[in-house]
Amino acid sequence: MEKSSSVDSLGSKRSSSRQPSVDSLSSTSTSRSDRSAQAKPSTLSSDSVSTSAEFSPELRVKPKAAAKKVLRDSDKEEPQLLPNETVQDNAQDVTYFCPFTGALRGTVIITNYRLFFKCTDSEFVLDLPLGVVSRVEKIGSASSRGDVSYGLVCKDMRNLRFSHKLMEDTLRKSIFEVLMKFAFPVSNGLQIFAFEYGQVFPENGWKVYDAVSEYRRQGIPNESWRITKVNDHYEMCDTYPCTLAVPVNIPDEELKRVSAFRAKGRIPVLSWIHPESQATVTRCSQPMVGVNGKRSKEDEKYLQAIMDANAQSHKLFIFDARPSVNAAANKMKGGGFESEDAYQNAELVFLDIHNIHVMRESLRKLKDVVYPNIEDSRWLSNLESTHWLEHIKLILAGALRIADKVESGKTSVVVHCSDGWDRTAQLTSLSMLMLDSYYRTIRGFEVLLEKEWLSFGHRFQLRIGHGDKNHTDADRSPVFIQFIDCVWQLTRQFPAAFEFNEYFLVTILDHLYSCLFGTFLCNSEQQRLKEDVPKRAVSLWSYINSQLEEFSNPLYVNYSNHVLFPVVSLRHLELWVGYYIRWNPRMRPQEPIHLRSKELLAKRAELQKRVDELQRDVTNRSASSSSDRAGSPTRSITPVQTFV
Amino acid sequence: AFAGNDKKKTEMHFTTQLLTFFPAPPPPPPPPPFVYFPGEIVVNEANFVRKCINTENNQDDLWGKLICTNFKVSFIPNDDPHKRLSHKLLGEHDIPLTCLEQVVTVNDTKGKKKVLGSNQKLKFNPTELILYCKDLRILRFCFNEAGPESARKVCLAIGHYSHPADLQLLFGFEYQGRRYHEFKGERVNGYPQRTGLRTPFFDRSSDWDREIKRTSASEWRVCSINEDYIISPSLPEFIVVPVSMADQDLKQYSLYFTDMRVPLWCWNHHNGSALVRMASVVDPLTQRKTDQKIFTAITRSHPHRSEVLKSELDKCLPNILEIQNAFIKIRQICTLDPFEESEERWLSTIENSRWLEFVRAFLKQSAEIVYYLDGKNVSVIIQEEEDRDLNCVVSSLVQLMLDPHYRSLIGFQSLVQKEWVMAGHRFLDRCNHLKKNDKEESPLFVLFLDCVWQMMNQYPAAFEFTEAYLTVLSDSMWIPLFSTFLFSSSKQREFAKNKAIPSAEDPTLYFPSVWEWSLQYSTKDQTLFNNPMYVGKGAACVQNGEVKSFSRTKQKSFSSTLRGSATSLRNGLRGGEDTLPRRGSLMSELKPDFSPAKDESPSERYFKEWFSRPADLHGLLIPVLMPSHMALWKLFFLRWVPEACISKGGPITAYHKLSQLVDEIEILRSQLRQYKGASPASTPLKGQRGRPSEQRNMYFRAYSPDEPQTPPDYLTSSFPFNPAGNLCRRYVYGTPISKFLNGARIWLSTETLANDTV
Repeated sequence: MEKSSSVDSLGSKRSSSRQPSVDSLSSTSTSRSDRSAQAKPSTLSSDSVSTSAEFSPELRVKPKAAAKKVLRDSDKEEPQLLPNETVQDNAQDVTYFCPFTGALRGTVIITNYRLFFKCTDSEFVLDLPLGVVSRVEKIGSASSRGDVSYGLVCKDMRNLRFSHKLMEDTLRKSIFEVLMKFAFPVSNGLQIFAFEYGQVFPENGWKVYDAVSEYRRQGIPNESWRITKVNDHYEMCDTYPCTLAVPVNIPDEELKRVSAFRAKGRIPVLSWIHPESQATVTRCSQPMVGVNGKRSKEDEKYLQAIMDANAQSHKLFIFDARPSVNAAANKMKGGGFESEDAYQNAELVFLDIHNIHVMRESLRKLKDVVYPNIEDSRWLSNLESTHWLEHIKLILAGALRIADKVESGKTSVVVHCSDGWDRTAQLTSLSMLMLDSYYRTIRGFEVLLEKEWLSFGHRFQLRIGHGDKNHTDADRSPVFIQFIDCVWQLTRQFPAAFEFNEYFLVTILDHLYSCLFGTFLCNSEQQRLKEDVPKRAVSLWSYINSQLEEFSNPLYVNYSNHVLFPVVSLRHLELWVGYYIRWNPRMRPQEPIHLRSKELLAKRAELQKRVDELQRDVTNRSASSSSDRAGSPTRSITPVQTFV
Repeated sequence: AFAGNDKKKTEMHFTTQLLTFFPAPPPPPPPPPFVYFPGEIVVNEANFVRKCINTENNQDDLWGKLICTNFKVSFIPNDDPHKRLSHKLLGEHDIPLTCLEQVVTVNDTKGKKKVLGSNQKLKFNPTELILYCKDLRILRFCFNEAGPESARKVCLAIGHYSHPADLQLLFGFEYQGRRYHEFKGERVNGYPQRTGLRTPFFDRSSDWDREIKRTSASEWRVCSINEDYIISPSLPEFIVVPVSMADQDLKQYSLYFTDMRVPLWCWNHHNGSALVRMASVVDPLTQRKTDQKIFTAITRSHPHRSEVLKSELDKCLPNILEIQNAFIKIRQICTLDPFEESEERWLSTIENSRWLEFVRAFLKQSAEIVYYLDGKNVSVIIQEEEDRDLNCVVSSLVQLMLDPHYRSLIGFQSLVQKEWVMAGHRFLDRCNHLKKNDKEESPLFVLFLDCVWQMMNQYPAAFEFTEAYLTVLSDSMWIPLFSTFLFSSSKQREFAKNKAIPSAEDPTLYFPSVWEWSLQYSTKDQTLFNNPMYVGKGAACVQNGEVKSFSRTKQKSFSSTLRGSATSLRNGLRGGEDTLPRRGSLMSELKPDFSPAKDESPSERYFKEWFSRPADLHGLLIPVLMPSHMALWKLFFLRWVPEACISKGGPITAYHKLSQLVDEIEILRSQLRQYKGASPASTPLKGQRGRPSEQRNMYFRAYSPDEPQTPPDYLTSSFPFNPAGNLCRRYVYGTPISKFLNGARIWLSTETLANDTV
């Protein structure tokens, strides 16, 4: 049934208009979509932080269009469907237990993309992409009145609870069983919605990142570094990208031998090179030292080559992200760390960052503390007991040390953890963000994610568990959320140094789960290629780059060539309330500064334009006619003067 | 006069000798002249003193002269890269004596330590002097090379003079002459000359009259029964009382109250409810009767004769001692505890200080009162034993939330004037200027400023002033010149004028008010007070000394039930529909309507409803009171901590960018004005950038295309303060130490800056 319908809509191509329709853009707001774009302006309701002007989908819509849409949709009970989104089931008389406002009765619609709850008595709407659902559980036994309850545990820091009357027709499935089918398509042999979503955007986000041009931007190849195609068919390392930058004097054959000594074949390769000192950030996985302290001549020579590629320093720093105990324990499994005997001139530093399991537990505790309500007392010590900020601090501190070594010490660094796809990705990308202002632009940040996270095989599919019902999977972990949190911390310390705003970061996290875009699907470049993701799904960057305005920070000043040294101290680290506590209706987000500054920018542009016009006017006009013309600009200026 | 020329030679000689121990400094320029003020006398001094800049090494330490005067402790570096002062009264290394919290002398070798007070002896030769300051600075001086005798003398002098035996020994009583003549005559129209606006002092009935008119409190009147302070020594001469109360009655009632303090009117909501502050009734037996009479009078002054609510603050808020303890703890955590070691338990330690909890408690209590005044339309009496501490905080916070006028600079100053200075907050005791009674010391005013900061942090565009302003205001408490903070009541303030030894030409002393900012800062520096994001000038404001009253289009709409009340009442002073806020077009679509949950108190429902609407910055503002939204005021608490200083970062970088933007808009606007107003002959030349610099409102000027946009190097999260020179501990793990040193070297005075940008 849903197969045919999707074919239908593919054929009809409803919204093939010249630009993405405003409606579909606004409905891509996914997990914040508790607030709906459809409700009447005066009475829009939701249990979300809907007052957030910053994060409201409405703001992304041009006011006129919004007004029109509102008129059109105000009486509809249905969500605005996305291209190829089809209604799968609906149910009347469902109760939603809002943790903030209490029980609400209404109707539920399930599509292949979302859950849509509409309250019958009020304008309350809950619009939830199914990708956000982590698990669905039937709560308790059916009550005396024959109600069944379902709890939805979500990946984005909230839990939802519904109940409805048991169907008299026992053959009919509960709507929540239908939901389960579409929330976990992978487990049910269905396609992830991203592969059906047929929106066309003016820009193709898949073209944002091209490894060769990114290396060229960094000045690679140069006399010390070359691009190798040794991994062109992912033969050397199936979790690495096909394009790699390596020291010039190590031939491909030797690379392969090095790969035998590195876990999963993830050899040290270049992430970033300092434009002046040529000091580099390189990444890899742990060496396969094992209990017997195995050595590899090729690997030792290779690291020496990395060091030699930088004439400024005769030292190499190896940053092992793990606590030293964990690194040592890895020897039992054949892994380990570089011994300083084997690697001359190298200094090994452990950064004490814990593994994915510790991080998962920490975020779980954080959810307990912030959702649904925050206790009036002991807030700070409760927050402290989650250790979340402490982990954030350790990651940032590690990245800062890397950036400092490269910038101030002019020394090359090698970064690894165990496999080099979680903590390593956090460290290299954060240090690159500190070192290179390019990555602080919107497009640069997209490149950074594409490069350090996606192409180098951060296992998004496993860490997030897209469409997979196995919520207890030990491979799930908020590593990427943690990274985005760290970026947010940086934007707090340097509010003018980033081209993007908070909304950009929240949007990335929302679509990490939504399964609307192809960007975060699969575990590696190879898999994405095999699945043909770029052809079959839309890139998140297509959506974002088609409306950059919404994601830009008006305070942005290009700190060109300026390295950011954040103060990595709990004195300056804060809980990201705009993300973790956004569902709490008691929270009014910070007064949206960027809105105010956008107004200022607009005003400046307007005034500048007017001045230019007048200047032209003055030069052109003759002295005699001057008095006649003076009047009109004066009148048009009046509204401006109400300002400031 | 003090010059020290004779010593210059030996000093130079000595410096040369030192070069063998320390890397070569640049050749020393002539020592800067010591700036002193009329009435300032040098008490003692020591040469060859080293001011510690960094504990890691001595390289950056400054050598110079330590001077104790009757006003301040001054350090004059022989060779100071940043000696130009932006503060008009104090140099970068100066600390007013009143700002000293503790004077500690140390002898390293003997392992001895002594805290110095007045008239003390010192049995060892100090090798070090550590000054703990009330503005949270900690300064360290070393005497290794100084003469032991002169070191000891200067330490004893500092100890002695920082503990004045009597109020009249404070420098404000000596500081006379020039300023007196300059300012006395301009009293009426002279306040901050910068804007031509005047902060009302509420020391005359016309100020109160204007306030009554501004808030349309027609059922209230100015009463002068306390003229010459004949009724109460702590009340101002003019107070506002219900129209229905006769002077005779008031005189009679005054007997029932602590310190004869009859209830004081603070403010009127446009719906007619009034905020009144009151001391407690002395005799519990008369309590009921007195309350009844007061209630009746206040009810009569309410347009709907609605009931009166009494909020006893003593019972629901921390007392002054608890507040003081919390402050001591949080100060300790922020400035003294070793930086790295305190990281792990930072959050819980902050929590245990209870400071943020208290900040939240005061905001919450104030919001609760806002609910009664605004949501329930009843008059509220806040009551406290003396009516001079907690009431000051709460009454000013309530007004700040309800009345946008007080969020303007002049409005805020008038609020402090009205609810603190005139209401008789005991600044002298709470600041403990005389260091006589530690039990009386309590940082209520700082607590208030922190509460204001919390609101500012949540609504950055709602206030005309900045956090730098609040911080500088708090620092001004420790400069013993301003009548604002020197006295505990108007009477004391008034009488102090005649206390000094009269000289022929100056029969009375004149104590300037802190609002005379030009005494402390240049016009240019004062622009740091201006918030570029401020959207004010909406509802009520005083412009050019002329008072405009509120727009009260919805005055007649009232209702006892919340649900039925008009929207204009719910959303603050101005109705939603009659005056659309500028952001309204964007925000109006976001109005969730929560259905009421069962166990919700009416005030919770009221807050919820308010929060579900877009905030009108010109109207009622309620801060988010969740504990997660109470933040540490970093500029205040961490500005002197070098390790916590973010170079080229912090909120100031956003401020920098925004003020450039606003400046550019101001320039363009004035260009437009010139175009439209001017005859063709006076067409502005191309490239001419707007108004003369003095008239510009923004500290950071619009950049020209050829300048880099990047924030200047001296911008740090501590700006405009400079943590270099404050007692340093080890640097942060992983942070390049060079960063801090850089910060110190490239520090420019704000005046240099001004010269550069103009």
